[in-house]
Amino acid sequence: MEIQDKQVNGVTILTLNGSIDAMTAPKITEYIQALISEGNINLIADFKGVDYTSSAGLRVLLGAIKDTRAQSGDMRLTGVQPDVLKVLNLSGFTNILKIFDDLDTAVASYA
Amino acid sequence: MKKDKPRIALVIGSGSVKCAAALGLMKVLERENIDVDMVVGCSGGAIYAALIALGWPVQKATDATLRMWTREVTAKRNIRAFLQLLLPQIFKFDESFGLINDRVINRRLREGFDGATFAQARIPLFVTATDLYNGEQVVMSEGSVAEAVRASISIPYIFPPHKLDGKFLVDGYLNDPLPIGVAIKEGADIIIAMGFESPYKERITSLMRYNFQISSITSNNLFKTNYAFHNLAHHFEIIPILPEFEQRISLFDTDKLPYVIKEGERVAEQQLPYIKGLLTG
Repeated sequence: MEIQDKQVNGVTILTLNGSIDAMTAPKITEYIQALISEGNINLIADFKGVDYTSSAGLRVLLGAIKDTRAQSGDMRLTGVQPDVLKVLNLSGFTNILKIFDDLDTAVASYA
Repeated sequence: MKKDKPRIALVIGSGSVKCAAALGLMKVLERENIDVDMVVGCSGGAIYAALIALGWPVQKATDATLRMWTREVTAKRNIRAFLQLLLPQIFKFDESFGLINDRVINRRLREGFDGATFAQARIPLFVTATDLYNGEQVVMSEGSVAEAVRASISIPYIFPPHKLDGKFLVDGYLNDPLPIGVAIKEGADIIIAMGFESPYKERITSLMRYNFQISSITSNNLFKTNYAFHNLAHHFEIIPILPEFEQRISLFDTDKLPYVIKEGERVAEQQLPYIKGLLTG
């Protein structure tokens, strides 16, 4: 799992590549928690390169979402692949999370 | 005390003939020497959970399905039920209501499972049904396998509820179409959960279709909400196996069993690298 981040218009874009699962969850958690602790609470997770997510992966995601929202921020998703979207839908995440088709629209949603 | 290896559960949800995909999944797991420590089944999934837990090879399980599950199980109407609908006071409408005479399905299950009991299962088996009077999940893990499966497949309105241990039991899907919670409660670590959403009708042209659509809406939303909860409540990993069929698979399409089993193998192969990774830690 590779993770990178960059800033665009005050929003932190997190680019993930690989699988979000029990084995990669600790690394992802640590990375996101570091960002949040530095005050980066308006996050966009770009899932274009994410090919799989499991229940452990979703718990990581939920933890990050709740932490950002507790500080009046949010985590929104973009570029979600069909197989991953299926799991997000099944797990109820599409009911509680904003998901955008493209990065620009996702960034603009924070305006 | 730390466990030596993760405990693996296989959970097979409701989905009629589509549940045979679990046989394909088991073929892959057996090939890779991945032992399953418990099997949980609901509704149609209960049939295959039982066949797998009893250790029947795929061909024997397929042959058993072909003998047990044909259109004849719903061919004979329950005349008393129709009279109960028309004159409920005179014919005493009660909890035994079901439009189909269940003599055929009862006989087929008894013959099909050949007197098997839960104690004879090679893998611990759990079959779920729903208590008609309070909606609670009933988990069966002892006694006759045929009786438990009959309870689990008691499709509302179609088959009469099955009376077992003083309870009137209806289809397990009414409480939870994919009973992952049973596996969590029984101490599973890795839960391989095979589930199927109910199909939606494209056109509503009769009361039967309307009723079917409402049932699918309810069932699918229940499937998702329960899955979401279990997903967040579990301490380790739930691996969803969601076969998708290009061909339509209807209630009695047992001629499509080879195709369904093949699809089960295909989706299992997709998840295999991750499952093996979890086991090697």
